[in-house]
Amino acid sequence: MSHMKELTKGIFKENPTFIIMLGMCPTLGVSTQVSNAIGMGASVIFVLTCSNIFISLLRKVIPDSVRIPCYIVIIASFVTIVEMVLHAFVPSVYEALGVYLPLIVVNCIILGRAEAFAGKNGVLDSALDGIGMGIGFTLSLSLIALIREILGAGTITLFPIGSFDGVITLPGLSSSPVRVMTLAAGALLLMGYLKAFFQWKTSRSQGGKA
Amino acid sequence: MTRYIKTAVILFLICAVCTALCALINEITAPRIAANVESDRITALEDVSAGLTIGEQYDVGDGSINYYIPLSDGNGIAGYIVEMSTSGYGGAMTVIASYATDGSVLEAKMMANSETPGLGKKAEEAWYMEMFKGLGGEQPLPAAKSDLSAEDNAAVSGASITFSGVSSALINGSQFVKGLGGAV
Repeated sequence: MSHMKELTKGIFKENPTFIIMLGMCPTLGVSTQVSNAIGMGASVIFVLTCSNIFISLLRKVIPDSVRIPCYIVIIASFVTIVEMVLHAFVPSVYEALGVYLPLIVVNCIILGRAEAFAGKNGVLDSALDGIGMGIGFTLSLSLIALIREILGAGTITLFPIGSFDGVITLPGLSSSPVRVMTLAAGALLLMGYLKAFFQWKTSRSQGGKA
Repeated sequence: MTRYIKTAVILFLICAVCTALCALINEITAPRIAANVESDRITALEDVSAGLTIGEQYDVGDGSINYYIPLSDGNGIAGYIVEMSTSGYGGAMTVIASYATDGSVLEAKMMANSETPGLGKKAEEAWYMEMFKGLGGEQPLPAAKSDLSAEDNAAVSGASITFSGVSSALINGSQFVKGLGGAV
């Protein structure tokens, strides 16, 4: 597989959220606002890429019997670093992500890619896999958050820039939102529809029947 | 035996390197984090002071009340700012509130918390604390969701544990202020 395919596979073909179904807990928990999804996605891209690089570098040194504890130590260290950096330099994102930030340590995408890919492949491919999977996760999370926030609150929350306060309010929907979309039930419902859509697209591209 | 020692040494070295890396980043970020926390605290004190003069801080540290600060209006003590610890869905939370001397809430603000974004995090928004303002003196503070109006009840929907945590903290603070009886 070419290097480019390692980078792009995570975006659609092996999308961690809709195809592999990894990282469901943060996906459902954080996807209430677009800004949270982007912040979480950026954190996952950083942790996934750095942990994949380090695990790939150390794959011949780490004994097979203790590989999972080693992976967890490396992943937890990068999550701690992200947490400290966000707390110091972007406190609004740090506070918005709340408990989901330290929970990246147990995000199945990170450990899953370490075990399935970085522990068996070279540094460049592992780095590209981390970036691609991270971007795929971020795009999926942002799509879910965009739909949930528009329907559930009638707003699109981005980051404040200058005089722009970061919130786009949609007339009509903001006064009478579909409140269930902000709750866990709405997230699961939307996830089901999006999963079905991606399943249909995958079947179609493989020439099968949906 | 050699295999076990080798495995242990490798695991130790990985842990040592990771710990050193975290310590280095902590060394760089800790002063900035401390400054951010102090800045947030000062902003919060000014936000909840209700235009009154902020006095000297008195530490309590009894588990639920962290400290209190008398507020004066020029003629004497007109109220208090109280910082309270409580727990929500995501663990420990800190609530800061100002009270009149009769124990009624003047202003309140959610500080440190790990509540769920979009649900419990709503307690950080200004409108959330409006439902508690003016209560705690002659009229009691809401202790449960059933004490709220239908509109407020719907607003805290999906985050009952956060509401209970905030409510119990404000009730504790109100009782503490009543106990002070207008004195320092």
